[in-house]
Amino acid sequence: MLDRQNYLKVKLFLKYSREVHGRSVLQISTDCEHLKALLLWAGSQPLGSAHAFNTSLSDFLFQNVEKGLDQAELQNILNTNERFFLWVKAMFPVEFQSIRLSWIMKITAISKGKEVII
Amino acid sequence: MSENQNTSNCRISRNVLIKAPGLLPMLYTPREIAEDLDVPETTLRDWLNHGAPHSRDESNHIWIDGKQFAAWVDNQRNARKKPAHQLQSGEGFCMRCNAIVKIQDGEIRPVKGRLSHLKGKCPNCGGIVNRGIWNAGSTELSQG
Repeated sequence: MLDRQNYLKVKLFLKYSREVHGRSVLQISTDCEHLKALLLWAGSQPLGSAHAFNTSLSDFLFQNVEKGLDQAELQNILNTNERFFLWVKAMFPVEFQSIRLSWIMKITAISKGKEVII
Repeated sequence: MSENQNTSNCRISRNVLIKAPGLLPMLYTPREIAEDLDVPETTLRDWLNHGAPHSRDESNHIWIDGKQFAAWVDNQRNARKKPAHQLQSGEGFCMRCNAIVKIQDGEIRPVKGRLSHLKGKCPNCGGIVNRGIWNAGSTELSQG
């Protein structure tokens, strides 16, 4: 079972994106699909400790690459996840204080085939 | 936790059929599922009364497992599908009766190559029934 708090944060992020950033319904739908990968990656663990997960997000997504996910789509997923982590760190500073900005900024670098040391 | 066991077929919209497999393996509230599937919450609660899988906690709050619900939606779709029926030799589909019938007074006309045209009458309504058939040497010919 996935962590419900993670799901609620994703829902809040999507609502914020729609109402504050003015993202369209189509963009929100795409973001939602991208963030589902994040929820599945986190599983039952809270996203506040994402930096300490055994499997990195890159490894998790690369497993999906073999199932037909192309490089451009992978890049989009990572960009969305980066935006989400930046937002969630700003909105929940105490809960996400252990997630560092440097770690967040490295999320998109994963798609370029670089190994990220967490 | 308790589960509702009342089961019957529900009409599921195409939109829900497409979106349901995307539900996550987690516990949703009815409102969350309704939002994710873009259906009114009252419709969802109606489905719960008709046997959609759900459970209740000690506070009597309803929780729905996303994967179980997706499986239930898939079952509903399969339950509504009519069983496929291969037309046997001499049979055709009467558009007036909207049913498969045994063609009477069948007459076969070759169209092109191996394709032939079987034309006859419906035994129920007397309307004309048409059917395309392959292979002029098949049993359809001998019956015609």
